[in-house]
Amino acid sequence: MHNENLFNRLIKKKKRIIRPLLFLTVIPYLTFICIIAFYPNYFSNMLFNSSVSIGIILGFMLIIIIWIITLLYVYLANKHIEPIIKELNN
Amino acid sequence: MLKIFTSSQSGDLNIVAIWMFLIFVAVTLYITFWAAKKTQSTNNFFTAGGNITGFQNGLAISGDFMSAASFLGISGLVFLSGFDGLIYSIGFLVGWPIILLLIAEPLRNLGKYGFSDVVSFRLNEKPVRVLSAFGSLSTVILYLIAQMVGAGKLIEILFGLPYITAEIIVGVLMILYVTFGGMLATTWVQIIKAILLLSGATLIAFLVLNQFDFSFNQFFDAAVSTHDNGLAIMAPGGLISDPISAISLGLALMFGTAGLPHILMRFFTVSDAKQARRSVAFATGFIGYFYILTFIIGFGAIILVSNNPAYLSDNGQILGNNNMAAIHLAHAVGGNILLGFISAVAFATILAVVSGLTLAGASAISHDLYANVIHKGANDKSQMMVSKYATIGLGLMAILLGILFEEQNVAFMVGLAFAIAASTNFPILFLSIYWKNVTTRGVIVGGSSGLISCILFVIIGPIVWVDILNNAQAIFPYKYPALFSMTITFFGIWFFSVTDNSIQATKEQALFDSQYFRAQTGYNKQRTVNQ
Repeated sequence: MHNENLFNRLIKKKKRIIRPLLFLTVIPYLTFICIIAFYPNYFSNMLFNSSVSIGIILGFMLIIIIWIITLLYVYLANKHIEPIIKELNN
Repeated sequence: MLKIFTSSQSGDLNIVAIWMFLIFVAVTLYITFWAAKKTQSTNNFFTAGGNITGFQNGLAISGDFMSAASFLGISGLVFLSGFDGLIYSIGFLVGWPIILLLIAEPLRNLGKYGFSDVVSFRLNEKPVRVLSAFGSLSTVILYLIAQMVGAGKLIEILFGLPYITAEIIVGVLMILYVTFGGMLATTWVQIIKAILLLSGATLIAFLVLNQFDFSFNQFFDAAVSTHDNGLAIMAPGGLISDPISAISLGLALMFGTAGLPHILMRFFTVSDAKQARRSVAFATGFIGYFYILTFIIGFGAIILVSNNPAYLSDNGQILGNNNMAAIHLAHAVGGNILLGFISAVAFATILAVVSGLTLAGASAISHDLYANVIHKGANDKSQMMVSKYATIGLGLMAILLGILFEEQNVAFMVGLAFAIAASTNFPILFLSIYWKNVTTRGVIVGGSSGLISCILFVIIGPIVWVDILNNAQAIFPYKYPALFSMTITFFGIWFFSVTDNSIQATKEQALFDSQYFRAQTGYNKQRTVNQ
């Protein structure tokens, strides 16, 4: 019974960590793709009279978001998920 | 066409490139020899003993992913049309958080050698493994053909070797690495190559940006003023013509990555789920960094290669083709030495990637088809023999197909491999991990209709039906089938699972809880309850 509770806590915690991160991955990416699909001209606006377009800036930001998401997940999983898994084994 | 390489520079080039390449081959063969002693069981053959660390595996995964095709292809695409190259890079990269958040840990906790172990965990093993093996083999073979043809062409240009000789060298070296060194040798070949490729690309990007005092503004200004399309290269261009194609390609890239068998099998080389997580974080870091480099290299080539007569043919076209942009740029910023280094790295990259693919194919043949379907209960020794024969068979087939497809347009094959991975391998893996009600019938009907529809849509679509078979009008109007074939797969699995009232189905659904427990924790439920 103790194990059941512990496992339920694990799943709850995992969902609380994974769902927002999944959302943060899929939504910006699909938005990026949909802008390319429906409003490609939006991406050709230039930033501050330079040759750097909004599309390029958002693209690079997306790469950085993806980095942050993976690092954040590893950090949160090690901090909050690993201890529960260890406890389950004892 | 080969002006640059047959001019006075060619002597220098050949010496540097060939020496670097020979050193790479010597080192990797030595590693294979060392690994062969440790590769005596099937488990070691496919998982390197499970002793690879998260950091090493992260490098090896990125090595598998950063093929010569993606290095030269994406920088070539950026060179040709600027921004559009970024669409591919981001699509390939966004698959990684998906793998990390949804797949990596359950995969490591439930499987032994490959994703088919997970799908067949509670379902009827024989049909499910046959389907997974078909999914894996079609992905691997398409990818392999694309790599082999690209490899032959590249080596022909870089080293002046005849196409057939190049195919044979690549095929034979790959067979040696995999048959004798198994996963351990393949992993180290992959790690060395990843380090070489990342350092080479970093050096080119550094030397390019150095010419612009590391100001991105100056850098992009120069590219815009050089390119024929001007400011248009900073925005989406002709790659994607309609919304359906954009979304369909986006889905194939995102979910295809999470269904590539040679990538998924890497998660069994680490000790546990924790290391599997670390692997993905490192891999995502390396791969993202690599795509930023290819983007800089593509823009650098616009500025420094597209106007330089040394790299252009008499009618103003770039020598070789757009895929040679990165290679020419290496020469433009680093002379013959950097050109030689990058050529050798490109060759090493091809060898490493085809080795990883062949190992994944051999795993589908020996582990899924032989040891669990054809000859259930086969001992380790015979399974090992089958793995080695399968490797040799796949290697010979790769050489043969590489030669057969020499004159064909194979660019669509990587796209098709990704579409199949996204429409068959990913859905069956994902649903069998997370959806309680999935049944064998659902997986078989849904998964195989996804596989068949995906191949069919590509054949009757614009790329094969019009461009290769020369028909006037495509029957299926879109280049990228993933949106449609993935829908078919998910609907098929859902429909044929929920309507499945057999006793078998009830049993499979009842097993979900204990599978889910193990997927999330790595322990068997029974064991922890007893303790």
